[in-house]
Amino acid sequence: MTLLRAAIGAEWIKLWTTRTVWWALVAALVLMAAGSGQYALYANNGDLDDQGTATAGTVAVMALGFAQLAFLALAMLVMTSEFSTGTIRATLSWIPSRGRLLLAKCAVVAAVTFVTGVVAGVAGAAVATSLMDSGGGLDLTTAAKIGLYLALLGVLAVGLGAAFRGPVVTLVVLLMLVVAVPPLLQVPDIAVLNGIADAMPGVAGDHFLRDGSVVGLLILTAWAVAAAVAGRMLLMKKDA
Amino acid sequence: MLITLEKLTKRFGPVTAVDGLDLEIRPGRVTGFLGPNGAGKSTTMRMILGLDRPTSGRALLNGRPYCSYGKPLLKVGSLLEAKAVHPGRTGRNHLLAMARSNGIPARRVDEVLEAVGLTGAARKRSGSYSMGMGQRLGIAGALLGDPPVVILDEPVNGLDPDGVRWIRGLMRGLAAEGRTVFVSSHLLSEMQVTADHLIVIGRGRLIADAPLDEIVAGHASLEDAYYQLTEGTTLR
Repeated sequence: MTLLRAAIGAEWIKLWTTRTVWWALVAALVLMAAGSGQYALYANNGDLDDQGTATAGTVAVMALGFAQLAFLALAMLVMTSEFSTGTIRATLSWIPSRGRLLLAKCAVVAAVTFVTGVVAGVAGAAVATSLMDSGGGLDLTTAAKIGLYLALLGVLAVGLGAAFRGPVVTLVVLLMLVVAVPPLLQVPDIAVLNGIADAMPGVAGDHFLRDGSVVGLLILTAWAVAAAVAGRMLLMKKDA
Repeated sequence: MLITLEKLTKRFGPVTAVDGLDLEIRPGRVTGFLGPNGAGKSTTMRMILGLDRPTSGRALLNGRPYCSYGKPLLKVGSLLEAKAVHPGRTGRNHLLAMARSNGIPARRVDEVLEAVGLTGAARKRSGSYSMGMGQRLGIAGALLGDPPVVILDEPVNGLDPDGVRWIRGLMRGLAAEGRTVFVSSHLLSEMQVTADHLIVIGRGRLIADAPLDEIVAGHASLEDAYYQLTEGTTLR
């Protein structure tokens, strides 16, 4: 346990001592604020699907569709930058247990994406509230859900990064899973394809965020756990 | 602390990089590790550090594999590639994270930075370091845990003459303190004045494992002895 705590401490220092993390977090906040402002105006104009029922919280969730990309980039870089810069060989000589290293990275990424996700959720709702004619107001429940959603996506990204190692392939797979493939599956509106889309992490997470779906949360959690397990397996198996 | 290799073997597909090495690397002396490019020196060192998994055989430190140590930096300091550092992170932050991972107090970071002469550049991003500075940062990392074993892969690469002399003194000093110093190099003249004992490999196999004097005996220099030993094992 003390070894895990030491590993988490080391990964915590590493996270905050490159510029990438700051850029990613600034980008996430800007995207969140800008997206929330835009959707708030749409809501005022009656241009949203859930017309009349939109609140500052649901607007923040819509804006998250953009902002999550910055969080994904941040999370996957925590793992893949080790391989792209060669730092992994140094890191593993400090923390030779690869399982412990991955666990430490997951813990740090989940903690940071949770807290900054809650902050982004509050900020998005605040921007929306300042612009919306009706439905404004602070929505802490939604902000907390956004934090949880991003923490789970963060673990998914770290796990995939450990499995694939390369930043480009990891990001492409992440975007496919979370952003790109589900809408393609949903276009024909066939029950089977919709069902598959519902089981993908982005859509499952979206159901959790919008409707509080426990099933959605469980599916997203299963994806995160599966990615971490697969990442651990490949990290153990392959030479560094 | 003893480094023991037991029938250590590593194959990459059809290529056997390290072929059944049986060795003991003892404390209190500088053991030089020589061999042509592709002889398997780096792969051997990587297996000792648990970075590469042996195809068969074992590499042990006092009877235990590297990965079984919870705080390995207190046992083994290593420099494999100087540039295994994130270029955006400062040298000091790199060492601070490293120290934290093994429960080493932060003040030790400033001590080793001072010891390698990197205090002035410690708060600059490591991407801006020259090769010699990168090498010094790597050596600072190797010394961080005050370890009884020090493993260095080509440590004099990129160092200026002062740096070369400094690292020679450092390795001699570490061995004199009773530590195990295992160092690979292509600079034979440098090895001749630094090492007490030599291990020579070629194509992954052991060619010689003997005191420096014994290997050089009957030759004009270590260089002459080396060429005779490794004849026919160089690439192409």
